Amino acid sequence: MLNVRHLSVTFGRVQALRDVSLSLEQGEVRAVCGENGAGKSTLMKTLIGVVKPQGGLIEIDGKPCSISGPQAAQGIGIALVAQELSLAPHLSVLDNIWLGNRTVGLFHRKREYRVRANAALEQLNADFDLDRPVSNLTIGQRQIVEIARLLVREARILILDEPTATLSDVEIERAMAALRRLKAAGKSVLYVTHRLGEVFDICDSVTVLRNGEDVGSALVSQIDRQQLIEMMLGRSFREMYPEAPVLPASQQGLKVQGLNVPGAVQELSFSVPRGRITCIAGQVGAGAGMVTRALAGLVPNATGQVVLDGKELPLGSVRARMKRNVTFVSEDRAGEGIFRRPVLENLVAARIGEHSTAGMLSWPRLLRRAGELCAEVKVDVRRLKANAFDLSGGNQQKLLFARALGGTEPGVLLVNEPCRGVDVGARAEIYRLLREFCRMGYALLVVSSDLEEVAGISDRVITLFRGSYVACYEHGEIDIARILADITHPIGARAA
Amino acid sequence: MAKDDTMDLARVNERAFGWSQGLSRLTLIRAALLLLIAAFALTTPGFLSVPSLTALLTNLSFVGCISIGMTFITLSGNVMSFALGATAAVAAVVFVNVLNLAGYPAAVLAALFSGALITAVQGALIGGVRANPIIVSIAANVLIYGCAEWLTNNETVHIAAPMLALPLQGKLAGLPVEFIVFLAATIVAQFVLSLTIFGRNLFYIGSGLPAAEAVGLPTIRTATTAYFWAGLFSSVAGILLASRFVQANMEFALHYDYDAIAAVLVGGTAIQGGSGSALRTFIGVVAISVIQVLLLLYGLREEWRLFITGLIVLVVIVLYSNRQRN
Repeated sequence: MLNVRHLSVTFGRVQALRDVSLSLEQGEVRAVCGENGAGKSTLMKTLIGVVKPQGGLIEIDGKPCSISGPQAAQGIGIALVAQELSLAPHLSVLDNIWLGNRTVGLFHRKREYRVRANAALEQLNADFDLDRPVSNLTIGQRQIVEIARLLVREARILILDEPTATLSDVEIERAMAALRRLKAAGKSVLYVTHRLGEVFDICDSVTVLRNGEDVGSALVSQIDRQQLIEMMLGRSFREMYPEAPVLPASQQGLKVQGLNVPGAVQELSFSVPRGRITCIAGQVGAGAGMVTRALAGLVPNATGQVVLDGKELPLGSVRARMKRNVTFVSEDRAGEGIFRRPVLENLVAARIGEHSTAGMLSWPRLLRRAGELCAEVKVDVRRLKANAFDLSGGNQQKLLFARALGGTEPGVLLVNEPCRGVDVGARAEIYRLLREFCRMGYALLVVSSDLEEVAGISDRVITLFRGSYVACYEHGEIDIARILADITHPIGARAA
Repeated sequence: MAKDDTMDLARVNERAFGWSQGLSRLTLIRAALLLLIAAFALTTPGFLSVPSLTALLTNLSFVGCISIGMTFITLSGNVMSFALGATAAVAAVVFVNVLNLAGYPAAVLAALFSGALITAVQGALIGGVRANPIIVSIAANVLIYGCAEWLTNNETVHIAAPMLALPLQGKLAGLPVEFIVFLAATIVAQFVLSLTIFGRNLFYIGSGLPAAEAVGLPTIRTATTAYFWAGLFSSVAGILLASRFVQANMEFALHYDYDAIAAVLVGGTAIQGGSGSALRTFIGVVAISVIQVLLLLYGLREEWRLFITGLIVLVVIVLYSNRQRN
């Protein structure tokens, strides 16, 4: 149905895509994988006509066609669900489904349109009230509305750009179910994803891009995980998760008693020993992220007792927390982590006072310190002057970790979703870095909704369901199935 | 090896999606425009004369000092203030009144203090309760003029002994004293921005307030201090105006806010904050003022001045947003 032949795209002197070919049959779901910057987005943009190819051919139903823009793409049935959803939150589901549809006249609330909107939702196994405002829906449900919008536009080829990046596991399962139904209905899907699990779960075939080049395509049934990772990285993949260091169990660390955040977390007690990685697992919205935010002093109405190495750490004060060398790394890097400033300034942001006298900065000292930090977290020191916003997700994450380095004693790291938006290659490095912090005696508390990651990196897992403690597992008893059961429907947890 | 790959890829992306390309293009456009203005100015008969240049340098210094103050506000991520002109006027009136009562040093201190206080309170409000900075400045603007009318009946106050105004009149080393003060203000501001902890914190809160809060930077204090400096530099403009005219009233510095924000943006300080400098603003002030003088020399009426200023702000913002979108 769709045939892409020898596509190449250049921006100035930079070749963003080189000789990329792929095909898509009716009812086929094809994964497009690659590290960040591999050219996935460029490929998608070319297919919907936002980017013009310099060479190659796009054929639809065997006929070559040139796609002049998103409107033209809509005309021939290609539609893209972007990473950032484009719904109007205050309008209803019905309004959103017909928003921007060129076949609709002046009135879109007629019976006919309600029926068609319902049919589209039905196709996705969703039965939202059409008059519900979109702001009431979860991110996952919004995604379904977005796809329904494309269905009423009679899209035949759907391009999904990392649709599950921000979903919890349960929502992902629902999205997968919706995808399977689309497939059964004969729609073709190009599925851009970072999550290898999904490739094997629902895709028929996979195309891998690396450095803008077409590394190859394969049927999913004919390759395994290891091979796929090797294709993406272009090198053999040793191990994603580094060995846990054997350190004597320490009494020191963070002890949390009766943490409460109204509407999010109830009576949570746990401890985070030094030299270990403690993970809090929970679905998105279960309050796991709120736990670290509260400990970071960013939730004003949080209550509870927090003791670090035997000394109380007051809740609700970022500065008191920073004084004890407790660093928070947010899941929202762009909004709450990185400054739109040079790498240098991002590295030293939290400790600028340590490199100045009487309110005056010492740039030579700052520069030297930033250089050391670069070396420690393995960011190219030549990029010190580059704007941190232009770095890859993995490198940005490393800058945030670097802020935790320093101080007279090892501190505590509170990390939300350490690998969100980080590509596979950089992931392994982030995990190694986390272990490095363990070795230095830091106590690490990590919140993650990626269960594979939780099982891979943690020495202790605390499961959370709707803001309440379910169970705690020590090294050796950590098991993905049990964690998943705990965080989705914890049997007996309510009673206990 | 693979690490280098990802870094190269990020670089490819930068170029591919036009971020840095757009940046340099914008810089080029700005440089070309400046050259164009310079060429235009130099070939305009009557521009290159001592009286004309003296008038230019004197006049741009008033708006210049306010623009330096505005730079602090723009950098802090609070876009602009509509109350700096009013602040300068208050400082001018305070200066003259105190001068008549208590002498020169007291007058300067009182003027600086009153202006800085007015804006610092706004800064505390904006930093502390996240009030919308534009609305706060409009409210402050109205309040200032209201209070001034109530307290002074909007009368013009005169410097009783004109000799007293002398220190900030005339020329020094061939340059108007006003211009030297503006130059000094620029240097002081640039020093504060580049070399102090406060300066760095200002860039941090301007380029990512939530990130600044997450690492425990003193966001409220930094916003307050930014507004404090804005008021201080505006007060300098007020003192210069009062010295120049040997009198003061609340009509002083009216509409200077618009010229100031135009100068800040033309200079290349980012409207969304977190990037820019006092030196850039200096260049912006000179560019805007030269354009305005050229308009006068070509016989265009005063209305054109406002029109052109507005147009320049719009063009800069459009250029800038273009860069953001790509």
